Amino acid sequence: MGPTTIRSSAILRAAAIVVTVGFAFPAGYLVWRNFTFHSDPLGVLFSQRTQGPLLRTLRLAALVSVSTAALGTSLAWLTTRCDIPLRRMWQALLPLPLVFPTFIGAAALIRTLNPGGLLSDWLDNLGLVWDVEIQGLFGAWLALTLFTYPYVYLPVAARLRRLPGSAEETARLLGDSPPAVIRRVVLPQTATAISAGTLLVFLYAISDFGAVQLMRYDTLSRAVYTTRLNNQPVSMALSVVLLVLAAAVVLAERGATRRFEHAAPVRSQNPVVYRLGRTKPIAVAFLASSVALALLGPLASLADWTIDGIRLEASGGRDLLVGWEDVWSPAWHTAYGSILAAAASVAIVLPAAYLVVRHRSRIGTLANAVIVSAFALPGILIGLALLFWTLQTDVGSHLRNTLVLLVFAYIVRFGGQTMRTSQVAVAAVSSRLTDAARTLGAGGLRRFRSLELPLMAPGLLAGGGLVMLSVMKELPITLLIAPFDFPTLTTKAFNSIEEAFVAEAGIWSGALVVLSGALTWLFIVRRSDYFD
Amino acid sequence: MPVADSLLSVEGVCKSFGATEVLADFDLALNAGEMLSLLGPSGCGKTTLLRLIAGLEQADRGRVVLDGTAVDGDGAWSRPEDRQVGMVFQDWALFPHLDVAGNVGYGVPRRQRTAEVSKTLEMVNLPRTQDRMPDTLSGGQQQRVALARAIAPKPKVLLLDEPFSNLDAALRREVRTEVRELLQEAEITAVFVTHDREEALALGDRVAVMNAGRIVQEGSPSEVYRQPANPWVAGFVGGVSMYPASAAGNVAHADFGAIPLLKPDQGAVEVAVRPENVDLLPDGNRAATHIVERLEFQGADSMVTVANSAGVRLQARVSGTQSIKPGDRVLPVFSGSPATAFARSDAD
Repeated sequence: MGPTTIRSSAILRAAAIVVTVGFAFPAGYLVWRNFTFHSDPLGVLFSQRTQGPLLRTLRLAALVSVSTAALGTSLAWLTTRCDIPLRRMWQALLPLPLVFPTFIGAAALIRTLNPGGLLSDWLDNLGLVWDVEIQGLFGAWLALTLFTYPYVYLPVAARLRRLPGSAEETARLLGDSPPAVIRRVVLPQTATAISAGTLLVFLYAISDFGAVQLMRYDTLSRAVYTTRLNNQPVSMALSVVLLVLAAAVVLAERGATRRFEHAAPVRSQNPVVYRLGRTKPIAVAFLASSVALALLGPLASLADWTIDGIRLEASGGRDLLVGWEDVWSPAWHTAYGSILAAAASVAIVLPAAYLVVRHRSRIGTLANAVIVSAFALPGILIGLALLFWTLQTDVGSHLRNTLVLLVFAYIVRFGGQTMRTSQVAVAAVSSRLTDAARTLGAGGLRRFRSLELPLMAPGLLAGGGLVMLSVMKELPITLLIAPFDFPTLTTKAFNSIEEAFVAEAGIWSGALVVLSGALTWLFIVRRSDYFD
Repeated sequence: MPVADSLLSVEGVCKSFGATEVLADFDLALNAGEMLSLLGPSGCGKTTLLRLIAGLEQADRGRVVLDGTAVDGDGAWSRPEDRQVGMVFQDWALFPHLDVAGNVGYGVPRRQRTAEVSKTLEMVNLPRTQDRMPDTLSGGQQQRVALARAIAPKPKVLLLDEPFSNLDAALRREVRTEVRELLQEAEITAVFVTHDREEALALGDRVAVMNAGRIVQEGSPSEVYRQPANPWVAGFVGGVSMYPASAAGNVAHADFGAIPLLKPDQGAVEVAVRPENVDLLPDGNRAATHIVERLEFQGADSMVTVANSAGVRLQARVSGTQSIKPGDRVLPVFSGSPATAFARSDAD
């Protein structure tokens, strides 16, 4: 190893340490404040006030995990391995519910399914009465299931597409029936993808704020939010409980992946396709109702809100509070904030990815662990920690109400998403290529500019796209610490929904869904292979 | 031994990776315009040696002197990008995001780029391919682009790391001849690493046979083939049977007949007998000493394994038209230029 390599890796290491400290800061501050803020931290921590929300969080997350695992896996199976008609259409539609932030999805469900909504209107015309109220545990479970199953669907579908057909054919030749092949050959090889996706959903469910807020189901994150102003000790204690829960899940995941590591990453040319036979209509109906509930229904109700509002205004009933020209500024804020966060995340995570892939350094491994674990940190905690920090310390007060603080929070929350893709990107630049460039006389800067950057670009873009999409849909951080003069589509939509300005909610949500839909298409649907 | 006026010399270089010693007190010298083949089994340290010369690795001990300047060792260090050493990698390592012109011109100063690129592409017989992307080229074409890229900046020394191993057998032979002619015409000094004996013998002005981090023998291709330094080299550079015999001066007597020796010897020896130097006289001959064990048809000729009554085997390459089948009794006859004998350690 030449002297230049040694010097540059020292810079990399310093960068990785700074980044690691930054990512650990919000969680660290929260824990530290909890034990220094008031006299009886442990008393509150183990009181009734925390136990109820904790149990509700666990119940909801467990139910959502089971249902998304089942739904995501079966949808993936049907669309990748069965002779379903219009397969490409289903494959394009099924990831799309990701475009809905859960609070918009939940609001849309309420609007569609509750009495007085689209469904009951429609049933009224048929002379039927519908009076099931969607709220509480059931509502939150339904919303989270419908809008997070793609986290299971995408990796499982990618995995199923890649499984070599030869293994399944061998099992058939050895005497297995198709169901036995699925059980003995396909499922074991898909287990990593299913469990990874389900874990993501579990984390999502414990940290979700939007759906539980709209469905009025008092989980930890909602309780943290509602107590933050008038009962800070309880809010802090709830935060720590939530933090411990998230950490426990991450640790459990570490243990679990170690046992599942034998799945071989092979690219298959022709996966085996199974014939559905007489069950085909049932399968198609299942796919259609999933798409209807998770995608078309919500879209229809967003459109319905907007049209209702416009009609009302036209008939002189009530003036809309927003004109079309008012949409631009929040939409620009949303795009601007998410692009900033995405670019900064990629730039910040890249040194750590280099250290892990190229230098196999211990600091790199530590940075990797901290950055990736920070992804499990619920947004409400990051928002709360930084909010309290700006309110209670002199250093922090300088950052109160600034874009810098907001972007920093986004990076901590979502930067970890770029770690995988950045590592893939760094690994794509083989050392042979950089060696070749060196023997041709190219110095470090020229190599980075002419070789490494262009080769890494697709992976870095994919990671940045993921961050952009997540930031756009993000609610609690934006709600808590976005500068007052920086309204985004999320805050506008959330406030309109909470204040029951239905038409405005439709417009803001519609704009947000269009933006995030475009990004989902660009970065997730087209690049689903990146997430296997 | 390093020569004072050699273009490149590697002097007493040691290199270890962890506990594994890859190069042990390694010496090598190369004159301007010379083409050296480095032949050795995989893992013998060939590639590490090339990477050391290029500056992609740093020696633990010893020096590397290039064109009169120490580039590694004794506190000297010159970065690979400053050494002017060209390298053709085993997998060619073409930049996938650059077209052929971008690849070939990568090491050439911007002002001369266009002219140099087309000139070099003419040289490697790939004219007018500037706009093609590497992944649209055939294996042979990619190989030539890699070569063009390495020679375009006019390096002092060109290193080739198993450059033909990714080509299929038929193409390999053709490209090999082309490359040799090209390098000779352009008077490029080159070190060429391979584990393929045929390639090493065909390409090198000189061949250095390497094993376990050291050079075992160095010489012209015919020297290495005809006068191997030890039985391992004899076996590594070509097919050989180590046949027991009793030496008496310039002749060794084996059980089937006499074998002329390159160097006089006495007593129990084993002779390195190349299969092409053995003829088989067919059955019907009363003196037949061997039985045909195995016959491998190889087209123009066949490789025949015969054994004497004690089970000592001898290989013979015979014309494909000769009708021999397993079980036949035959008499081997030695018919080539004198062979090399080694003292027998397990003499009975």
